[in-house]
Amino acid sequence: MSASTAVVSVRDMVKTFGATRAVRGVTLEIPRGSIFGLVGENGAGKSTLAKLMAGIESPDSGVLTISGREQSLRDPHEGIKAGVSMMAQEIMLVPDATVEQNVLLGSMPRRGPFPNRKEMRRRYAELVEFTEFDLDFKAKVGSLRVADQQKVEIMRALSQDADMIIMDEPSAALTTDEVERLHHSIREIARRGSTVLLISHFLEEVLALTDHVAIMRDGDLVRVGPTSGETVDSLVASMVGRALDTDYHEPKPQADGPVRLSVSHLTRAGILDDVSFDIRQGEILGLAGLIGSGRSEIARCIFGADSFDSGEIHIDGELVRPSSPHEAIAQGMFMVPESRKEQGLVLGSSISDNLLLATHKKRSLGGWVSKRTQWAAAEKLAQSVDLRFNSVKQAVGSLSGGNQQKILFGRAAEVNPRLLIVDEPTRGVDIAAKRAIHETLEEMAASGMAVLFISSELEEVLGVCSRVLVIHRGRVQAEFKAPYDEEKVISAFFGQSGLPHD
Amino acid sequence: MIERIRNYGIVGVFGLLFVVLAFTSPSFLSLQNGANILDQSSVLLILAATTTVCIIAGIFDLSIAAVATASAIMTVNAINAVGLVGGVILGVLFGALLGLITGVAITKTNVNSFIGTLAASFTYRGLGLILAAGGLVTIENEQSAQTLRDVMEGKYLGLKGAVWIAIGFVILVGVVLAYTVWGKKVYAVGGNWQAARLAGIRSNRVLISCYVLSGIGAGVAGVIYAGRYGTGATNAYPDSYAFTAIAATVVGGVSIFGGSGAVWRGTLGILTFALIGNGLNLLGVDTTYQQTILGLLIFAAVAADQVFRRKSA
Ligand SMILES: Nc1ncnc2c1ncn2[C@@H]1O[C@H](COP(=O)(O)OP(=O)(O)OP(=O)(O)O)[C@@H](O)[C@H]1O
Ligand SMILES: [Mg+2]
Repeated sequence: MSASTAVVSVRDMVKTFGATRAVRGVTLEIPRGSIFGLVGENGAGKSTLAKLMAGIESPDSGVLTISGREQSLRDPHEGIKAGVSMMAQEIMLVPDATVEQNVLLGSMPRRGPFPNRKEMRRRYAELVEFTEFDLDFKAKVGSLRVADQQKVEIMRALSQDADMIIMDEPSAALTTDEVERLHHSIREIARRGSTVLLISHFLEEVLALTDHVAIMRDGDLVRVGPTSGETVDSLVASMVGRALDTDYHEPKPQADGPVRLSVSHLTRAGILDDVSFDIRQGEILGLAGLIGSGRSEIARCIFGADSFDSGEIHIDGELVRPSSPHEAIAQGMFMVPESRKEQGLVLGSSISDNLLLATHKKRSLGGWVSKRTQWAAAEKLAQSVDLRFNSVKQAVGSLSGGNQQKILFGRAAEVNPRLLIVDEPTRGVDIAAKRAIHETLEEMAASGMAVLFISSELEEVLGVCSRVLVIHRGRVQAEFKAPYDEEKVISAFFGQSGLPHD
Repeated sequence: MIERIRNYGIVGVFGLLFVVLAFTSPSFLSLQNGANILDQSSVLLILAATTTVCIIAGIFDLSIAAVATASAIMTVNAINAVGLVGGVILGVLFGALLGLITGVAITKTNVNSFIGTLAASFTYRGLGLILAAGGLVTIENEQSAQTLRDVMEGKYLGLKGAVWIAIGFVILVGVVLAYTVWGKKVYAVGGNWQAARLAGIRSNRVLISCYVLSGIGAGVAGVIYAGRYGTGATNAYPDSYAFTAIAATVVGGVSIFGGSGAVWRGTLGILTFALIGNGLNLLGVDTTYQQTILGLLIFAAVAADQVFRRKSA
């Protein structure tokens, strides 16, 4: 491949953060017009490498060439000018600005010093047509759900007319249907001659979309080549350095323990409509459905994070009505929230403080905490969720996306509740860690915990849960039991009923 | 490395100032001068400690000077009504009560703390006026006034009572913040209010506790005033006390975005200000220029912090 056909190439790129060598001398060429996949475990250095290409981070050493010109980018603005724009893994939007303003943030059309509203509207409409994402363009981004924020990120990256668009885990928060549209847009971008660098933990997606794929491990490039001929197993083997069983095993038989959580007639005006279901001890119940169908809202109501109008919640036969997460936790529940950055983590605080956030009291002596005891406890917890880290005193913000997610999981394990609600617990988590999280969940269930499992990744829900409810427009649309008919489940997403709900 | 400079730059600045002053002015290193610096700073040390806690929790309390003033007046009135010990206790409790009212009002209505405490500040100044019946109240019992003055102004191991109170208060707040569950919660709420709430922390309660602590600090400042002067005046503490406390906290290296910092930083900030003032005095700089120089130095410190922050980001 000669330099002229490469849109972006890097030579001997090195980036370290303190003691962490995130990228250790990577050399890579990305052919113009290609859809180029970048895969690797959590913390392998994918996002960092991409940020170096987009000017979000600057390298310790190494050469970056964009469209034949050597570049030393000082900030993302220069990256965009050079022709590379990036949709970051961690959503970076202005919460108080509208969807439209966020999308056109870096490329605001102007008339003199003023924004050109007409032109803005036109450009936005064009993007909507291209992506088929329908969002209320006047809505404040802060009020959108995660998936919609992700769409805004994608549209923003597209709006900049870049030679290369980097998408870091773009489909992590999207549903099946939206992922289709995203894939369509990605193919369209490549057809028009631009290049897409796609970072993804969904290996099927990488196999289906990309023409080249690069695999990273521990900051090094393991290998790079055409995608044809690769399989999930061959990619995984290079990612983790050993073969790994990637198939889901048979879901457990239906649980028959006593009912742990019973929700009846849960209603919240305009959002939830007469939702009733039970979860037994030792059961992992799945909630599937489209984004916005009300799955997270059900979870938040049970957990006391949102209020509801009517309905009853019983735990082990006892009526509870938590008015805050604090009360819910006292009544034996815990939740891993949907958005780790906004709702889950204190990014500036240490790994230790984040892991023990919900249990400082338990670990204290009459309100006094001993740092040493805490660090030791955090160390153990971190290892139990297979966290990749230097020190438990390190700030959580410096961890890779997938490793941040593991922290939330460690926190939940530490609380050890009777009912655990997990909302998108494996978003952005690599395949090996995902397997580990599923195993942890199964172990927790086996020990008698009831688990409410929400995920937009259908394969995962069906693989882990022996019973699944599909939520549609705030109602329980249908109930399915393993073995599943996947098509029936998906059609329930859109309002068709499956088995009669009992 | 850059991280280090940002985190410990203020220590370096303080050390440098100290050394320069020690060499240029022979009277600087005297115990007497040290005791003076601490004495002038005692109230600000207390206020900077509580301000640091508030900023770590993600809030500003601009009402502390007004609360301290109202508490000074309340202390005098209470001593006149129920005697010395009860009066002092009531004076501090009054500060705590005002902090509680501010905290409850702000968290219940979701008003921005900056604006909310600014409004509270006006209100409490007005309250002070009412309590002082327009101007000045005086401790009537000569005996009580003398005892309280002895406590505050009397020297113990070379330092005035008020200084010892300030030192004790700052250490107590610092230790509690660093080593208790409550302290952990303060950091978490300031770092991410939403995440803290979902992890079962009653975020608003934690914020209210910070306002109460702030009120207690202001109450103690009020008692110190009543002791020193035997009176409570409506202009006991001007609002510049609140601003100085915030400036010192930031100069000390506490992020105004919340979630990180430590009490010693506010302390070091105040002591740095005191050194600068003291140094300018000893060097014979006209007091008319001192404010301006101090202001420029604060700006330089904060700007340097921003530059380092950007570099390390
Ligand atoms: N700002 C930072 N400060 C310190 N360490 C960092 C920073 N950013 C990344 N790292 C570290 O660099 C390594 C690579 O991180 P990176 O985010 O590139 O991984 P990734 O391959 O994108 O992982 P994931 O799949 O989890 O998103 C990790 O060990 C991470 O902890
Ligand atoms: Mg990443």
